[in-house]
Amino acid sequence: MNRLDKSTIICRCEEISYEEIEEVIGNGARTFDDIKRLTRCGMGPCQAKICTSLVAKVIHEETGKPLHEIPLPRMRMPLSPIKLETLATDSTSFSTVKSVLDEVELEDGKVR
Amino acid sequence: METDVLIIGAGPAGLAAALETASRGLAVILIDESSSLGGQLPQQTQLIRPLPSEYGPLRGFELAEKLINQLEDYPINYLLQHRVVGLYADGSVGVTDEENVFPVKAKKMIMATGAAERAVAFPKWTMPGIMTIGAAQTLINRDFVLPGNEAVIIGSSDFAMDVALQLMAVGVNVKGIVEEQPEVQASDNVKIEQVQQSGVPIYLNASIIEARGNGEVAEIDIEHTGTVLTEKVDLVCVDGGRSPILDLFYQLGCSFGYQEKLGGWIPQYNSNFQTDREDAFLAGNAAGITSQGAILLTGMVAGISVCEKLQAISHDEAQQIRGSLFKELEILEDKDIWESRIHHIERYANPKLKDQFIS
Amino acid sequence: METRFETVVIGGGVVGSGIAYHLSERYKGGVLVLDKKYPMTGTSGSTQAWVWVHNKTPSWYAEFNMYSAELYPYLSKKIGDVEYKRTGGLSPFFSEEDREKALKLAEAYREIGIKIKVLSREEVLEKEPSMNPEVVGATYSSIDGNVNPFRLVDMYMRAAKKNGVNYSTYNKVTGIEKQDGKFTVVSDKETYECKNLILAGGTWSRELGEMLGINIPVNQLRGQILVSEPLKPFLNHTISGLRQANNGEVLMGYSMEEKGFDRSTTLDVIQETANMALHYVPSLKKAKIVRAFSGIRAMPEDGFPIIGKVPGVENLYVAATHSGVTLSPLIGTLITELIMDGETSIPIDRYSISRFGVGVKG
Repeated sequence: MNRLDKSTIICRCEEISYEEIEEVIGNGARTFDDIKRLTRCGMGPCQAKICTSLVAKVIHEETGKPLHEIPLPRMRMPLSPIKLETLATDSTSFSTVKSVLDEVELEDGKVR
Repeated sequence: METDVLIIGAGPAGLAAALETASRGLAVILIDESSSLGGQLPQQTQLIRPLPSEYGPLRGFELAEKLINQLEDYPINYLLQHRVVGLYADGSVGVTDEENVFPVKAKKMIMATGAAERAVAFPKWTMPGIMTIGAAQTLINRDFVLPGNEAVIIGSSDFAMDVALQLMAVGVNVKGIVEEQPEVQASDNVKIEQVQQSGVPIYLNASIIEARGNGEVAEIDIEHTGTVLTEKVDLVCVDGGRSPILDLFYQLGCSFGYQEKLGGWIPQYNSNFQTDREDAFLAGNAAGITSQGAILLTGMVAGISVCEKLQAISHDEAQQIRGSLFKELEILEDKDIWESRIHHIERYANPKLKDQFIS
Repeated sequence: METRFETVVIGGGVVGSGIAYHLSERYKGGVLVLDKKYPMTGTSGSTQAWVWVHNKTPSWYAEFNMYSAELYPYLSKKIGDVEYKRTGGLSPFFSEEDREKALKLAEAYREIGIKIKVLSREEVLEKEPSMNPEVVGATYSSIDGNVNPFRLVDMYMRAAKKNGVNYSTYNKVTGIEKQDGKFTVVSDKETYECKNLILAGGTWSRELGEMLGINIPVNQLRGQILVSEPLKPFLNHTISGLRQANNGEVLMGYSMEEKGFDRSTTLDVIQETANMALHYVPSLKKAKIVRAFSGIRAMPEDGFPIIGKVPGVENLYVAATHSGVTLSPLIGTLITELIMDGETSIPIDRYSISRFGVGVKG
């Protein structure tokens, strides 16, 4: 096993070290997603593609959990980054998306 | 856009699946983010064997050519430089050509999205000059760029041996191969011998202590039999093994199982190479890391299974073809991998990870 | 392993941890927080985290939110940097017809002392130059802002633990009983006993209530949010629909879907959200989206928070609401007051669970 010292980087996108991950595991974090929320590990441009297996190893080292009991991080769309203008369509109708002002209702000329 | 079969990934598995489906009259869309077909094959110069009986031993790029030419006569809709970004609520796949995102509705889909290399961590592993063996191969064979002059390779799999030979062929001084296990991991003895005969030391039971450099790698410390060996390098190629790319399966709500020998977490599937999502099949390294010959066979199985579901062939004929494909798979595949695969398929009704999006 | 605590809080999200922290500042009794997974696995870890006051109606509810927003600067001083920014909030409109609504809203707020301005097109563009020049006006309030929800919950937990609060995570509560003046809380790992029990289970409040035969009518409402790559700071305000975080990422989204506990995202809503974002801030068009996530809002039946004692069951408290990020400092303070002083410094009868008719199910 290659030596991993406290300062070894685990998440190269956000530059999160072994030590930082070790600390939050000490505070009860158990899954990749717990660690992510507390350290930002996995929130960078690669969206955990590179660090997932490394973090699993750290969790295994620190908690003894076997790899097959360490669940996957939650993966999301877009599968890779995409520009907003590519995503956008020409539609101006929104069925699920609202403006906060939409929620204000008037009744008898006064706000409900 | 609608079709019978959407095949995602035009590497060897996707191409093999495309042949099975298109040759039986199904409408096929084949999508890949690259500008050419063949996946990693076109940049592989090494001889690949064993391959399924209809293919003799071929170099990577020769196999790619053959797989592509086989599809010539069929009206396949190739969407190159297109990628899948996500899914719509009705199950259509969202595809982009970098201008727009549009839905593709397929009766069945075959995901041959392949695998990614795993990182290997040690102090200072993120320095420039330290890359995966796959990245080094791409630089040499696709981009015609020399990745460095003095190299150390970490890992001793068949792939690592291939890359060691490729590096030496372009004049890189490979100063050593570092393997943490007590024995060489590669199974191709011809390659191992070639590497040894070039004078490259292979250090077993060895590990990396740290890399050093100022802005890029300049030195690496190797621990071997209790001593520390320092090598001056400008290139370190790491082999962390590969694992299937899972994100599309995850979005589809597929379940997963864990098989160490197949690359860790892999989508759960049955002997038809069908995931637990009725319309989604898989093939290639996405179904577990294996050898090239096996990759082709899995593509064929997935293709046949889709043909069966869409009634392009009868159930009996499908069973017969699948039976012989599985027989050949057992012969071609490494024993460990084959056994893991069977074990994985047996767990179809009871996956380890499921319902990922339910809070 | 200690199993007797004076107070147990079920739920360690922004509401539960906020209560645990505020309580621990004044309370000498032992406090245990139980979470079925780890804090932020639920809504608190999947939110845009606005600290939003204006446009909330009716005005007594806006006032409630305002009190909470005003507690943030002091909270930051006490628990540490939670990246709270009082950016001011803008709610733009694109047609003149909406100006009437906006003006009425401003009037209603004035009556309770919240200042919101209705801006002209020029004023909007002066405040937020990146806004779509087709904008016709906006309501503006200086109180609104945003916070880093991960820092917030983490700092609440650390401060609470420093004050002696115990946390037991990955420990799901499976049964609750009340007998002889104490609660018995059965969980995966242990059975606990406590005097005071606080239910802060967020989207799972109904399930918790059922363990005690109580109706806590909280439904689930999904929201999908897009995250951009880090961009140079350019959005000055929290705009209803988007905001820019400290590290430059722009969060976009204000969608509502009834999907139960399904946390998946869909390209349908993602594309609608992209349209909305570009409609508000056209210059975002070349920005790359790196992630789309979804969170489930804990939505009480009538849309208003459920806070306070549970009538008919002594020492049982409930805190369930959406806008938990905005309201957590106030809720933490109020529940602490109820436990320590027996009454709250501002009236909260409107938020009582008794408004739903049943205190304890038969």
